[in-house]
Amino acid sequence: MSRLATSYLSGRSNYRLIEFCVEAACVVLGVWLAIWALIPVYNMALIAFSEHGAVFSGQTWPSQPSLHAFAVVWGQDFWYLERFWHQFGNSFFIGITTMILTLLIGTMTSFTIGRLKLRHGWMLSNAALMTYVIPASFLAIPFYRIMNIYGLSNNPWSVIAAMVTFASPYSIFIFQHYGKSIPMELDESARIDGATPLQIYVLIYLPLMAPALVAVGTYSLLLAWNEYLYQFLLLSSRDNMTVSVALAQFLNSDEAPWNYMMATAIIYALPPIAIYYASRRYMASGLTMGGVKG
Amino acid sequence: MSTVSRRNILAATAGLAAVEVLGRPYIANAQAKTATIWVGQGFVPQEDAALKETVANYEKASGNKIEYSIMPFMALYQKSISALTSGDVPDLIFSDAPTVILPVNAFNDRLADMTDVVETQKGKFTETALLSASFYNGKLKKRSYYMAPVKQASAPFHVWGDLVTKAGMSLADVPNRWDERWEWFKKVQEPLRAQGGRKVYALGLQITTVGPNDGNNLFYHFLIAYGGGNIVSKDGKLNTADPKVKEAAIRAVEQMTRAYKEGFVPPEALSWNDADDNNAYHEKLFVMSFDGTLSPELAVITKRPDDYQNNMRILGMPTGLDGKPVPAQVGAGGGFCPKAGKNTAVAKDFMKFFITPEVMNANLKGGLGRWCPSIPAVVKNDPWWTDPKLDPHRSIYVQTTVLGPTIPNYIGFNPAIGQVNAEQLWGKCHANVLKNNMTPQQAVETAFKRAETIFNKFTFEG
Amino acid sequence: MSITQQVLPIEQAARIVPRTRRAWGGGAQRGDFYWAIAFALPYVGVLLAFVVYPICYGFWLGSSPALYEELFDDPTYLTTVVNTLIYVVIGVNLKMIIAFLLSGFFYRKSWWTKYLLVIFILPWAMPALPAFLSIHWLLMGEWGFLNALLHQLFGFEGPHYLTERWSGVLSNISAYNWKNTPFWTLIFLAGRMAIPTDLYEAAAVDGAQRFQMLRHITMPLMAQLYLVSTLLATVFALGDFNSVFFVTGGGPAMSTEVMATLGIRYAFVLGDPPLGVAAVLTTLPLLLPLVLLLMRLLRKQEMQL
Repeated sequence: MSRLATSYLSGRSNYRLIEFCVEAACVVLGVWLAIWALIPVYNMALIAFSEHGAVFSGQTWPSQPSLHAFAVVWGQDFWYLERFWHQFGNSFFIGITTMILTLLIGTMTSFTIGRLKLRHGWMLSNAALMTYVIPASFLAIPFYRIMNIYGLSNNPWSVIAAMVTFASPYSIFIFQHYGKSIPMELDESARIDGATPLQIYVLIYLPLMAPALVAVGTYSLLLAWNEYLYQFLLLSSRDNMTVSVALAQFLNSDEAPWNYMMATAIIYALPPIAIYYASRRYMASGLTMGGVKG
Repeated sequence: MSTVSRRNILAATAGLAAVEVLGRPYIANAQAKTATIWVGQGFVPQEDAALKETVANYEKASGNKIEYSIMPFMALYQKSISALTSGDVPDLIFSDAPTVILPVNAFNDRLADMTDVVETQKGKFTETALLSASFYNGKLKKRSYYMAPVKQASAPFHVWGDLVTKAGMSLADVPNRWDERWEWFKKVQEPLRAQGGRKVYALGLQITTVGPNDGNNLFYHFLIAYGGGNIVSKDGKLNTADPKVKEAAIRAVEQMTRAYKEGFVPPEALSWNDADDNNAYHEKLFVMSFDGTLSPELAVITKRPDDYQNNMRILGMPTGLDGKPVPAQVGAGGGFCPKAGKNTAVAKDFMKFFITPEVMNANLKGGLGRWCPSIPAVVKNDPWWTDPKLDPHRSIYVQTTVLGPTIPNYIGFNPAIGQVNAEQLWGKCHANVLKNNMTPQQAVETAFKRAETIFNKFTFEG
Repeated sequence: MSITQQVLPIEQAARIVPRTRRAWGGGAQRGDFYWAIAFALPYVGVLLAFVVYPICYGFWLGSSPALYEELFDDPTYLTTVVNTLIYVVIGVNLKMIIAFLLSGFFYRKSWWTKYLLVIFILPWAMPALPAFLSIHWLLMGEWGFLNALLHQLFGFEGPHYLTERWSGVLSNISAYNWKNTPFWTLIFLAGRMAIPTDLYEAAAVDGAQRFQMLRHITMPLMAQLYLVSTLLATVFALGDFNSVFFVTGGGPAMSTEVMATLGIRYAFVLGDPPLGVAAVLTTLPLLLPLVLLLMRLLRKQEMQL
C-alpha cells in the first residue's frame, strides 16, 4: 500500500511538473506572439504619437509624445481628413452591409448544397471557385465597366456588390465544411416534426454555425473595411469615399504628415476589432447551443 | 492658414476676377452643357482650392457646368487607364507628372486632337512645353498636339544651408560645374559626423528602382550634364549607338555608384520609395539632394517657417562637361481629352480658358508656385515669380524651369521611353554595379540592349 | 445531454423507418426542391451579374499570344516567377502550419488566451497600406525602428533588410504572414470547435496522451479544412500586391517582384492592362491544378468520424 501510495504521489507530482512546464512554455509563446504581432503596430503608434510624424527618427520612444495627430483626425483638421467622420460612416455602411449580405448568401448557398442536397449543387460550388482564378486587382477594369453599364457608378452599392462577389465563394466553402460536422439526423428529426426548410435554416443551421459565422463575418467585414482599389475606382465623389481611400491620399505627395496617417489608421482599425471582440463569445458556444428543440 | 498663404489666395482671387472679362472671347456656345473632368490632387491644399476657383470662374464666364473629381495621382492613373480601356471616359483628364498614359493612348488614337486649343496661345508657349504636348499618332501616322500644357516643373538642388555652415563651409563657395559641385558637397560629411550625433550623409542620391520617377530623373540629368542628352531624339529614335551617349551613360553610372561606394549616400537609398527621400531630407539625414519641384520646401512652409525661410536652400543648374549650363529637363502638365468623351467641346473650351495667361498665372500662384507656367511672358510680367525678396526659393526655381535653357522629357518623343522608365533600367544599372559586380560599362550595355528591344516595339513613320 | 448522445437514438430510429431516410438521403423531395432553388437563387444572381462578365473579359484581355512573347522577353519575368514560387510554396505552407499549431494553442482555456487572441488579431484588422508602410519604415536600415531597438537593447548594428534580395523576400513573406496568419488561425480555431469534445473525453478515458489525440482525432478531422484553406491561401497569396509593393517596392533592382506586382506595373504604370492580365494568367498552370483539386475535395460528402 505504501509503495502504491509513493508511486501514485510521485506520478502525480510528475504530472504537475509537466503541466507546469507546458504552461510556462505557453506563456513564453504567448509573449513572443504578442511581441511579433505588436512590433509594426507599435511603430505605427510611435509615428502617430510623435510631434512631426518623423519616420526615420531612430527612436524607440517618441521624444515629444503628443496627442496632436489624434486631435487632428478627430477634429477633421487636415485637408485629407476633411470628411473623415462622413467617410467613416460610409465605411460602416459598406462594411456592415457586405458582412450581412455575405453571411446571408453564403449560408443560404451552403445550406442548399449541403443540407437540401440541391441536385448538381456541386456545379454551383465550382462556379463560385472561378471567381478566384484571376486575382481581384486585375478584375478591377471589367468591374468598372459593368458598374457603369448597370448605372451604379459612384454608388456605394457597386462597392458592396464587388465585395460580396469576392467574399462569397470563400464563405460558401467554409460554411460547407463546417456544416458537415452537424449531423444530418438533426435535420431529419426536425422534418419528421414538420419543420419547413426555412425553419431548419433559421432555428438549427444558423445557431450551430455560430463559430463559422463569426470567422467569416469578421473576414467579410474586414475585406470591405480595408479595401481601397475598388472603392476609389467605383466611386468618384469625395463624399462617397471611405476612410481607406482617404488613407491612400497620404501617398499622393512625396511628403505627408505620417503621424496623421498612422493616427487615422489606428482609429480606423478599432471598430472591426471591437466587433470581433463582442462576437467572440459566439465562437465558443459552438455545438453546445441547442438546436434540437426545433 | 498662415499669412503667407492667405495673401497668395487673395492675390489669386484678384487675378481671377480680372480674368473673367478677358476669358469671355472663348465661350463655345450659348447652350449650357456639362463636362466631367478628373484632376490629380495637389500636393498642398492650395492647389486644389485654386482649381476650384478656376472652375468656378469658367462656369460663370461661359454658362457651362464642370463636374470635377479630385483624386490622388496614383488613383488618377489607375482610373484613367480603366476608363480608357473600358471606354467609359470622362471628358478631360489633367495629367501631372510624366506618365505613359498620354503617349501610349495618343499612339493608339484614343485621344482627341488638341491642336485647336494650343493654337489659341501658340506663340507664347516655350518650345519645351510645345514639344512636351506633342505626341505621335500611330494610326494617323503623324505628330500632333494631344495635350494643352498649363504648367511645367523641373528638379532643382535642395540643400540644408545650416548644415553646410555647421560643417564650416559656405554656400557662397559652391562650384558652378556639375562634377565639382557633387564633389564639393561630399566634403560636408566628415566635419558633420565629427560633431557627433546621428549618422548624417552628404548626398541623397535616389539610386532606387522603386517609386516612379526619382531614379530616372536623376540619371537623365547626369546624362545630360555629360553630353548624352540626345539619348532619344525628337523624331523618336533611340540613339544608344551614339558613342557620345554611351560614354555619358557610363560616366553617369560610374559617378553615382562611386559616391555610394565611398559612403556618401545612405545605404538604403537602393530601396527608397517615393516618399523616403523626402522624409530623410526633412529629418536632415543628408545635406543635399536633387529632386523635382519645390515640394520639400513647400511641405514645411507653415509648420517650420524658419527652416523654409533660412535653412533650406535651392540651387539652380550648374554648367556641364561642355562648359554650357546644363538644361533642366522639364515635365509638363496639362489637360487631355479622351476621344470617346461625350462633351469634348466643353472640355476643350475649358482648356482654352485655362491656358490664357491670366488664368494660368492665377491658378499656379494659388498653388503656391510649385508648378511654373508654360508661358514665359507670365513670369516676366508678374514679379511674384521673379522677385527674390518675396520668396527665397521661387526666383531660382523659375529661372531653372522657365527662363533658363530647358529640354522636354523624352516621353513626348516616343512612348517606348515610358516603358524604359517603368522598367527602371537605369536604377538596375546602379544595382548591377553595386550588387552584381558588373562594371559600369557592362551595366550600361545591358540596359541599352533592353532599351533597344523596347524601342523596336514602336515603329514611327514621319 | 451532448449532441452525440442525442444523435444515436435518432440514427437507430431512422434505421427503423427506411422510407423517410431514403427520401431524405436521395435528394430533395418535390416541395423541398423549390426551397432548394429559392435558397440558391441569391448566389446564382451574384454569379451571373458580377462574375461571368469580368472573368470572361479578363480572359479575353489576356488572350493574345503576342503578349506572352513580350512577357518572356522581360528580364524581370524569370526572377519574378522564382519569387512567386517561393512566396507560394514556402510562405503559404509555413503560414498554414503555424496557423494550425496556433489554433491548438488558442484552443486552451487559459484566462489570458482570449486577450492574447485579440492582440493577435490586431495585424489582420489594421488597414494594409499603413501597416505595410510601417513595416517598410521599421526595416529601413539604420534609422528604422527595428535596428534602433536592437541597438538600444543589445548594442549592435542590425543589417540592412531591404537592400538585399533574399532578406527582402523574407521581409515580404514575413510581412504578409504577419498580416494573414491571424485569419487562418481563426478559421482553424472554428474548425477545432466543430470537433465534439466527447471524442477527446472518450480518448482520455482510454488513456490517450495529448499527442496521440492530436494525431488520431484532430488531424484527420481537420484534414479537409486544412487542405481547402491551404489551396485558398495560395490563391490569395498569388494575388497579393500590397505587401511586396509597400515593404520592398519590388527592390532592390526589382529582384523581389512577384507576379501580382509585375502585373500591376504592366497594367497601371505602363498603361498596358492586357499585358498585366497576361502576367497573372501565366500563374494559371500553377493555379488550375490546385483549383481542380479543390473542386474534387469539395465534392466529397463524407466526413470520417
